[in-house]
Amino acid sequence: MAQIRQDLPPAGGYGPINYKRMPIKPLLSGAALIGGYLGITAGSLYLYYLNYKSVFNRELEARGASLALFPMLLAERDRAYLKQLRINREEERELMKNVPGWKVGTWYGEPIYLGGDPNKFVDPRIQEYYVHANYKEMAKRCEMSLWS
Amino acid sequence: MSILTPFFKSPLTDLTGSVISSQWGDGPCRDMEMKALDCLDAYGIRRGEVKCAELIKNFDECSVKIKQMNRTTAMRLERHRQHFAGERSKEDKYSKNPPSPETY
Repeated sequence: MAQIRQDLPPAGGYGPINYKRMPIKPLLSGAALIGGYLGITAGSLYLYYLNYKSVFNRELEARGASLALFPMLLAERDRAYLKQLRINREEERELMKNVPGWKVGTWYGEPIYLGGDPNKFVDPRIQEYYVHANYKEMAKRCEMSLWS
Repeated sequence: MSILTPFFKSPLTDLTGSVISSQWGDGPCRDMEMKALDCLDAYGIRRGEVKCAELIKNFDECSVKIKQMNRTTAMRLERHRQHFAGERSKEDKYSKNPPSPETY
């Protein structure tokens, strides 16, 4: 029968188990972290305030300018519209002068709206507004929304 | 009677016909529709057809714009006719003062 030999600790016993905590040395203390956070936040908030103020003022100025200009632009557009209608009327008179029974601004002498004031302004449709021009000119207006 | 009268009159068209009208919002045909309806209200449907013919025609014109479209077509065709008949040269076919796109 073979000799039996049991495993046993080394002579003098095992060494001590290293379980002691070894924290990393902190770069900044807690107070410094919180203080730094507060300080940087305060500084950036001040910068944000400056920026906000400048953006607000810029937008205010742009809004004011837009509000001030809008009535003038509207009036200019209306004026250009009426001038163009006058051109269109002369164009129609010139174009249809040989058509028997045709009266300018009417459908063969029949006004667009019966009764009432015959000189009352009637808004043309866009096709009528551009009737004397090439279709390419109307496409510029009709396809404007596709380009913008 | 009117262009806008339904082709077949049925209880369903009577029910839904009054839902959509020019009275919604602030459209250009609002007053004309109201005038025509007031007139029909006063004279009834049979006599109203005669008495309110002008107002109904005006409202039809406002909502469908048949006359304005006919005018446009007539002018366009007259221009083409003049061009084909040789009364208008190719350069002269269309107006020299086309509307600017920002004016409409």
